[in-house]
Amino acid sequence: MTELLDLPSDTPEALMELFDSRGWGDGLPLVPPTPERVGAALAMLGDVDPDEPIATLAPRFGEATRRTIAVNAVLAGCQPEYLPVIVSAVRALARPEVNLRGVNATTHPVAPLLIVHGEMAQRCGYNGGLGAFGPGSRANATTGRALRLILLHIAGAVLGPGDASTQGGPAKYSYCVAENEASTPWENYPASRGIDAASAVTVHCGEAPHNFHDMESDHPARILDKCAAAMASLGQNNAVIAQGEYFVALGPEHAATAASHGWTRQDVASYLFDRARLPAGLVRAQFDRVAWAPWMHAMGDDHLMPVTAHPDNIRVFVCGGAGKHSSVIPSWGMTRSVTLPVEP
Amino acid sequence: MKIYPPDGSIGKPSLARAATPSVIAGLRIGVLDNGKPNARLMMVRLAEQLAARTRASLSTVTGKGPAHNAATACSDEVLDLLEKEVDLVITGSAD
Repeated sequence: MTELLDLPSDTPEALMELFDSRGWGDGLPLVPPTPERVGAALAMLGDVDPDEPIATLAPRFGEATRRTIAVNAVLAGCQPEYLPVIVSAVRALARPEVNLRGVNATTHPVAPLLIVHGEMAQRCGYNGGLGAFGPGSRANATTGRALRLILLHIAGAVLGPGDASTQGGPAKYSYCVAENEASTPWENYPASRGIDAASAVTVHCGEAPHNFHDMESDHPARILDKCAAAMASLGQNNAVIAQGEYFVALGPEHAATAASHGWTRQDVASYLFDRARLPAGLVRAQFDRVAWAPWMHAMGDDHLMPVTAHPDNIRVFVCGGAGKHSSVIPSWGMTRSVTLPVEP
Repeated sequence: MKIYPPDGSIGKPSLARAATPSVIAGLRIGVLDNGKPNARLMMVRLAEQLAARTRASLSTVTGKGPAHNAATACSDEVLDLLEKEVDLVITGSAD
């Protein structure tokens, strides 16, 4: 059983001072993780062992138990009912294909984006609509923050020894949205990945969203050409790491335009694979080291090379509200996204 | 007020480093290129100078294996090779 700490007073300042003195926290005010609050969160998981290790998180190799996850959820200001989402997100981050040690330790500003799908998103009020990536939703803000606090405290992703990010990034504070399933003209994202569950989470370790807009087009090709332009950048890790994914967060109006022309999610990805390209010679001229798929090395310098090795690396989901904006979220590169059912 | 600490216990301790050899003379030095730009150039030069000063030898220079990249782990095959063929390894250049 975890030993409790004495907090000399119940003021916010006392908690901040204690955390500052121990190198904990993200710099923002925190909610005291009292046994009562942590217990209320754990009660949302049902009859499970709160102290069972469910993941070991690099680089500190801290043991994430449901209790330590709940402690960080309380600190972040989460409602108790968010806890199953956060526990599932931690499970996803611990999958080897995520390469969490690299994600946490790199000089790149990568942060895990958490996408919440299904019933839990509805019931807990996760925002996948207007302004989903921005402020205003307690569920989005505190769940994303809880995940960051878990990375800081349990995984040890602290600046310097555990996080070498040259400039850091705002997505490292909180990075959580819901999929806008009501406005999705296709099957929901987890179903497209073969996950049949009432609720699910996806983690994708990438950059902050890059906006693209198209206010006037009534054909998906013209809209997606803007997305392809945002993807085909020499400045992103994807340019040199062929296994890297892109997450494309289509606004509902752009998604509706695509669907109205009979385009499926796979059609959107295939079109972007065809259009988001750079001359192979240009990339060769700019980089000494590339992690391309073997077939990409055979391309002539004048050939237009896709910025990722396969259309399936382009992952499309619907997010946002009214308006003609969408975004693309490039990958850190040496990581793969994971989608898992929400489980306690 | 009593509160829980947020960090929990260490689940899998980091591997301990081998003891630093007290005498380098006669030892075999390896260079494990960790995939960062210029890492091999810098570490090989360092190893050559160390070998010249201490009468050790630079015996092995290797990358991490088939998926050689700064962001991925070294393959078991390369680790086995280093364990057999060298006495100390220089590695870990940053950007």
